[in-house]
Amino acid sequence: MTHAINTEKVNVSDRYMQLIHNLHDDKVKINDEKLKIRGSIDIDDHGFICFPDFHFEPEYAEDGLVHGPKLIGKNFGRFMREMPKYINRNSALATCWVGVIQEFMKIGVAKEDRPSKEWHDTVEKYHILQPGFAGMNHLCPDVNIGLELGWKGLLDKVRKYREINQPENTDFYDGEELLLLGIIDWVEAHAKLAEELAEKETDPFHKQNYLRIAGMNHNLATQPPQDFREACQFIAQFQSVDRTYFAGGATNPLDRMLKPYFEKDIAQGKLTEEEAVWYLASLFFNDTHYSQIGGVSPAGDREMTSRISFVILDAMHLLGIPNNMGIRVHAPLENQGDSPEALLRRAVEYTIEDGFGVCYSLEKGITEGYAKNGYPIELGRMRTKCGCNWVAIPGHEYPLQDVTRVNMAMALHYALEDLKAEKEYSIDRLWELFQHHLSIMVNCIKEGYDKHYEVIGRNVPEIVLNLFMYGPIERGLNCANGGVDVLNLNMDGIALATVADSFAAIQQRIVEEKKMTWERLFELLDTDFKDAENERLMLHNIKRFGSPGSIAEDWALKIRDEYVHQVHDTPTPKHHLMTIPGMFSHGDVYMYGKKTPATPNGRHNGDPISHSSEPDPGFARGIDTFSPALKANAVAKTQAGYGNSAPLHLDIDTGLIENEGGVDALVALIHAHEQMDGTLINMNCVSKEKLLKAHEDPSAYPDLVVRVTGYSAFFASLSKEYRQQIVDRFLSA
Amino acid sequence: MEKKGNIFNIQHFSIHDGPGTRTVVFFKGCNLSCKWCHNPESISPKRQILFYPEKCVGCLACIKNCPGKCHKVGENGAHIIDLSTCQRCFKCCEDCYAEALVAVGEEKDADYVMREILSNKPYFDYSGGGVTFSGGECMLQVDFLSELLKRSKEAGIHTAVDTAGNVPWERFEKILDDTDLFLYDIKAFEPERHKELTGVDNKRILENFEKLVASGKEVFVRIPCIPGSNDDQLPLISNYLEQFPQVTAELLPYHAMGNSKYIALGSKPQIDIPNMDKKVAARLKEKYHFI
Repeated sequence: MTHAINTEKVNVSDRYMQLIHNLHDDKVKINDEKLKIRGSIDIDDHGFICFPDFHFEPEYAEDGLVHGPKLIGKNFGRFMREMPKYINRNSALATCWVGVIQEFMKIGVAKEDRPSKEWHDTVEKYHILQPGFAGMNHLCPDVNIGLELGWKGLLDKVRKYREINQPENTDFYDGEELLLLGIIDWVEAHAKLAEELAEKETDPFHKQNYLRIAGMNHNLATQPPQDFREACQFIAQFQSVDRTYFAGGATNPLDRMLKPYFEKDIAQGKLTEEEAVWYLASLFFNDTHYSQIGGVSPAGDREMTSRISFVILDAMHLLGIPNNMGIRVHAPLENQGDSPEALLRRAVEYTIEDGFGVCYSLEKGITEGYAKNGYPIELGRMRTKCGCNWVAIPGHEYPLQDVTRVNMAMALHYALEDLKAEKEYSIDRLWELFQHHLSIMVNCIKEGYDKHYEVIGRNVPEIVLNLFMYGPIERGLNCANGGVDVLNLNMDGIALATVADSFAAIQQRIVEEKKMTWERLFELLDTDFKDAENERLMLHNIKRFGSPGSIAEDWALKIRDEYVHQVHDTPTPKHHLMTIPGMFSHGDVYMYGKKTPATPNGRHNGDPISHSSEPDPGFARGIDTFSPALKANAVAKTQAGYGNSAPLHLDIDTGLIENEGGVDALVALIHAHEQMDGTLINMNCVSKEKLLKAHEDPSAYPDLVVRVTGYSAFFASLSKEYRQQIVDRFLSA
Repeated sequence: MEKKGNIFNIQHFSIHDGPGTRTVVFFKGCNLSCKWCHNPESISPKRQILFYPEKCVGCLACIKNCPGKCHKVGENGAHIIDLSTCQRCFKCCEDCYAEALVAVGEEKDADYVMREILSNKPYFDYSGGGVTFSGGECMLQVDFLSELLKRSKEAGIHTAVDTAGNVPWERFEKILDDTDLFLYDIKAFEPERHKELTGVDNKRILENFEKLVASGKEVFVRIPCIPGSNDDQLPLISNYLEQFPQVTAELLPYHAMGNSKYIALGSKPQIDIPNMDKKVAARLKEKYHFI
């Protein structure tokens, strides 16, 4: 039995509450300024700060691009030195980031290393807007490597392995070294800025705070972090560097990473819990890097929740701005106490109170699914939630999740076009043609992945994350190209419900009921159901995927199985790399929908496609009324099943759960979904009235935060289309 | 022959009808006609048509296919419906893809209903929940109910029956062994007031209630509170229940969510008042010791 963990809320005094509230207000102001300068932002609401006057003059290669480790390192190092330095007066930590480096210089793959024209033609024909080739980050670093070595130690490590390996081409090590030299200067510059601010500051508390920040940054320029606050400062620096390079956003579990510092400082009386809350709030103010709290040990016998897990949750709750923390949910372990249940309950209570909160990463589906790839189950347990949907083994795995989309509705579109041309119509033939076009899309991505593996390291290496992985520096190899031991490449199939409902509508209305002919269906699709609303509704209003026992559900399972088979059972053609099926659409259903012609489920040309493996909104009919359980069951049933997450989005009306029992019901729902092999739950709790008012006038609700899909964002930051997506989802519930 | 039941709704995630998270199966048909009923489509045991004119797209399929000539286009182009000659073929609903005409009530066998209940078992296991059979009055279809209760118990699922109790006691005896909890409605205490409000007096209802409590079964009383209708009965019900200290009683504040369904059924709500104020409800709960 583990000793009891303190699960109480941290008692935070007025002084620290005020600092945290000020950080919240500053973030809302910064966000408002960003919106005015840049317009809406439909991706993660990263914590970057806009400096419109900052310009950077990059050094380019002869082709007018920046590529290659050395040139990137050289530019990136100088960028770090030149970019504005920032310390918020209410923060315990220094630094910010000012936008992704690609906005300041054109980084790209050299022409001779790009995929063939034929590959590009396929990408264009099937509208594969995210084909995987040249996808960046989407793996999980182990920041512990940096915490143990510090920036200077990382530099020493690079130099040490350069000596050991003595590579003929020194580009890889040159790039890493040039970047680290720039980072160290950048850290030192923040120490100087803090000293200057301390000198001008008249308030004793803030003056002392600036001096402490100055001291920390001096230390971190030459040595690894020595205490909890320095560890937070180092992580903030890592976040800023990582975000700057292709918006990297992953970290290993934050509670495990900070636990030794936290417990040591608390035991020595150097740290109070309220100070820890403020430091953490300052860290979350800096950026919305993805991380996880809770979970089980690799052996599966021990609970990893500790006191710091609760402190982290309190810091997020009190700050009340977008965050991307996940809590790992698993079935209770014997003799491990009830702290994981207490953490889950607290997280749900905060979600109800704040309207948003953590997302829920589910152990069984992730771990057991991953083991089906042939990996030991212990590695599955080590996979951590570190992105919108993605999970990875920190420091060891290159999984490249969330950088591809196979819009299966496009495969269906071309299958229907072929069938129309053949003039002999049957649903079996349509299925064969669908399989054929799907395979073209899948194989196109596999070919792209082969090319990615061959060329990305010499063009656009993971220059930041290589430092925080086990292998790249030791081997002198980019992590995508043999730098780490575990390489498996994800491929996300999307529009499952759109395609399943389409096949079901054809089966029911054309094949079984004979209420429509194939010819008429083709006409309707060609004319986008012009002047045929009733026939469109005939196709649309069948028992759709999500309705228990529907033929659409049978189709969804058949399509899922086919997709999984095509992705998983055959490696990439040239380098035989493992590919793992996923089903995550991100919030891209509008972007893909715009390029997708009308579909037989009554969906108009250009309308959004369905989300991930979720049923379409409004799916429930007949005697079954919509419920979160119906949707959850459908999502759990259609998981791709190999350990990569496909989320269940729940937008819950607070009016339905404010009564006693609401928290219990949501906790039960989360546990049940985990046991049914679901992998991820993203949840919003907001009243219908508030959401509709905010949709009409977002500026009136500047600090309303919602979980869009895997990421959370200020509602006001989202474009009208993305806001509509949340509203549609909510109203269908 | 396999038993079938007339069901009008299966709700998969209820937290208001017994402990934990529950699947609620609503049976069609009721032998009370409470003035405030928020499920008016549950009263008739027969399949019915709900009509939502705002959804009509004017396809005229109902007019073409109706053997009873129930559907017409009015002078102003409005869809007019008169079900007095309805032959109950429900073709108009089948062909109404806009879902302006919807048939309510379906005959389902026990296998079908059990499949839906069992699909939610993990939610029951984690929440201490289960299945609740409600209505309408589910005990009017007691054989079907009995089979579902038995099969639920065999599957290790907690069972609850939500009833107004206006059935012969023998029907309770049929299901006692397989029912873990009764949600028992008491809508008024005085027999004449009960008759005025629900169409029947409550002699048998209270007798059954007392037998049920005496049987040792867990009983949870639910008292709908409709301002201006039965709120005069609350002190009397509270007083009556004092003799059953083992019984918990819950006040259900009135809500007007069923009103649109009256209109869709071609009638109008007998009570047209706003939702009960939460603070007023809280005061009444405290005063009369309800939860």
